[in-house]
Amino acid sequence: MGIVMLRLLSILTLALAALPAAAQEAAQEKPRGLLDPHAGLMFWTLLIFVALWLLLRKYAFPAIFAAVEAREKALEDAIAAAKRDREEATKLLEEHRRQIDAARADAQRLIAEGAKAGEKIRAEMIEEARHQQQEILDRARQEIGAERDRAIAELRREAVDLAIRGASKVIERNLDDETNRKIVEQFLGSLQTSER
Amino acid sequence: MRFGLSLAAALLLSASPLLAQEHEAPARPDVDSMVSAKVAEEIQGHAPEEQHAGESEASHNVDIITPHITDSHHMECPASWKIWQARECHLPEWEPIHIGSFELDLSPTKHVVMLWIAGILTFATLFFAGRGARRYQEAGRAPKGFPNAIEAISLYMRNEVIMPNVGHHGERYVPFILTLFYFILFANLLGLVPYGSTATGNISVTATLAILSFLMVEWAGIRTLGRGYINTIVYWPHDMPLAMKLPMTLIMTPVEIMGKFTKPFALAIRLLANMTAGHVVVLALVGLIFAFGSWWVAGGPFIMAIAIMMLELFVAFLQAFIFAVLTSVFIGQIREGAH
Repeated sequence: MGIVMLRLLSILTLALAALPAAAQEAAQEKPRGLLDPHAGLMFWTLLIFVALWLLLRKYAFPAIFAAVEAREKALEDAIAAAKRDREEATKLLEEHRRQIDAARADAQRLIAEGAKAGEKIRAEMIEEARHQQQEILDRARQEIGAERDRAIAELRREAVDLAIRGASKVIERNLDDETNRKIVEQFLGSLQTSER
Repeated sequence: MRFGLSLAAALLLSASPLLAQEHEAPARPDVDSMVSAKVAEEIQGHAPEEQHAGESEASHNVDIITPHITDSHHMECPASWKIWQARECHLPEWEPIHIGSFELDLSPTKHVVMLWIAGILTFATLFFAGRGARRYQEAGRAPKGFPNAIEAISLYMRNEVIMPNVGHHGERYVPFILTLFYFILFANLLGLVPYGSTATGNISVTATLAILSFLMVEWAGIRTLGRGYINTIVYWPHDMPLAMKLPMTLIMTPVEIMGKFTKPFALAIRLLANMTAGHVVVLALVGLIFAFGSWWVAGGPFIMAIAIMMLELFVAFLQAFIFAVLTSVFIGQIREGAH
């Protein structure tokens, strides 16, 4: 934008301004036709247009475009905020999902552990019960055996006594009690060993 | 449907001044126009009886088209409170201002008045649209209704038309081109309302706008190219031997300069012709009704005139748009050019 440009522009303007003047002189002779320029009207057009241009540039267009730009900015902000929120939400969701997964795994593990422990306890209890039962059975069997032995012994003694008493009654006189008894007991002893 | 009806009503209203004009026509000197002489002759020859009531002879030509499309010191205005009856009003005539040998007649003509109305309407429309937009913005909402419509048009022009054509940092040219668009649009539309006249159908107006557009284009070139602007006037190819350069410069420089001036010339003539042609057709069609003077014929031209009026409505927008688009294209070209 030097002096040269300004001078050029002013020459151009002058040249153009001279155009209607030349045309106007030509139009003087005959009545106004469709293609005859009229300097007054050109002046008014210029005045009105330039005034309108300056006025609109100052009072109308900035307002219209400022509103649009403000709206565009608000919209962009809203979109950015929404994107940010969505990213945050995605992150949170991811975290929650992870937490839920972890919790679920924990629960699974706990249930499995519980089940295993239960199983173990049950097995132990069954084992113990069986053991006790066995113990009780053994003891009972032992006792029964002891009782039986004692009963057998008792019965045997009783039988011996009865037999001795019967035999003594029969052969009281002629036989020595002590010797007889030995004979019978020997007999019974042989009986017992042969039974086994 | 409602739109069509209102358009028909508008056409009727805009035709009513024509009837009044016909009464007054003999008082005015005839204007020679090849287009309308025949129609006018027929009007005088066959017009219905009541139209002739006050006239003694029916011999001279009455031109209804040329006065309508050219500028004058007369205007149609309502005769009384009955706004459908028109009469001719005389606009004040001032003494011309003398600047040296140059005579500048500043007295307002029909088209000057129309330009003022167009300018005021444009400003009012955009100003109130801007205020409405600001009010909506303060309320934190998008504008509705009228401000929204203006905003949509302005935004479309800026984002889809001006900025892509003008190129980078084209913001400073937006107000100029938008003003061109709206001003031409309102001036075009004013020709379609009753009592209106198409100021953009006048070569003085279109030429002035085209010259302004031309100056803006050249200024944009100077601004963007700086010293390189000379290259848009003088053709100087850098990649040629000197023996080729000189003849090329001699031949191409006049072409470049002519190219500069054909653009605004085309702009001016395009707008003028488009705005004038439709009116000539509508007037010729309406003239047919009076030429035949028969109710049986009236329907056809009436319907055709409505169709042409609708086309005119479209053309009014189209031509304003084209003027704005071409101006931005030219600005873009000169900013691109002469690398």
